[in-house]
Amino acid sequence: MGLVQRVIEAAGIPTISVTLSRGISNKVKPPRAVFTGFPLGHPFAFPHQRFRQLQLLRLLLKSITTIEEPGTIIVHKLVKDEDPEHHCVLCDGIFTED
Amino acid sequence: MLAKLFTRFPSLFRRWVRKHQFVEFDDSPWTPFTGRPSDSRVALITTAGVHLKGDTPFNMRDPAGDPGFRQIPADATAADLKITHNYYDHADADQDINVVFPLERLRELAQEGEIASVSPRNFSFMGHIVPPHIHTLMNRTAPKVAGMLKEDDVDLVLLTPA
Repeated sequence: MGLVQRVIEAAGIPTISVTLSRGISNKVKPPRAVFTGFPLGHPFAFPHQRFRQLQLLRLLLKSITTIEEPGTIIVHKLVKDEDPEHHCVLCDGIFTED
Repeated sequence: MLAKLFTRFPSLFRRWVRKHQFVEFDDSPWTPFTGRPSDSRVALITTAGVHLKGDTPFNMRDPAGDPGFRQIPADATAADLKITHNYYDHADADQDINVVFPLERLRELAQEGEIASVSPRNFSFMGHIVPPHIHTLMNRTAPKVAGMLKEDDVDLVLLTPA
């Protein structure tokens, strides 16, 4: 997907993507990407989580206005996993739907 | 089977990514976004193998993948769409297509005025493209989609993998 994104950006249209793998994105280097930690097959959360899906679209639309450095991957964890580098701030307390 | 394991055990997937060969680049192309989302026509593109039920499914018989694309109109509903893609577990996306292709949610943002409009043409590719089809994708089919997005005066593109 990063390859398609690169072609469109190079053609003159700004792009931003969800990435499910920072490992792949670090190699393919899409111009702008957001990593939220959802598993493969779930870039926009889980079935019928309408609010989450809207929230993720809004996150992309906000991020495309703020990213200034080509190749930026914003890490905005929305789910808890074993990743020690990035704490999921929304996973504790009342936000436990995942 | 592998797809289900990777979904269930992200650490296995990360190990596979470390060992797998990908096309690598040193830098990223860049087109500044200078407008506001609320003034923008937005297109949605996925590589999750989504297509209209009446459209030709992605070719699963070619081990190098299908480098083609399918068009999806702005008013397509979940009932109009299906997924043909054997390389990831799309059981959840089959229940709610917005899990990989949130076109219905994007229309809601247009109705609320958070974006100006949804592009009349949105696009779907199949991920899992390997040589020789990477060349076809990057030099033929993806540039064709870029041209169609420009014809439609699209201001920004959101891309979603699977």
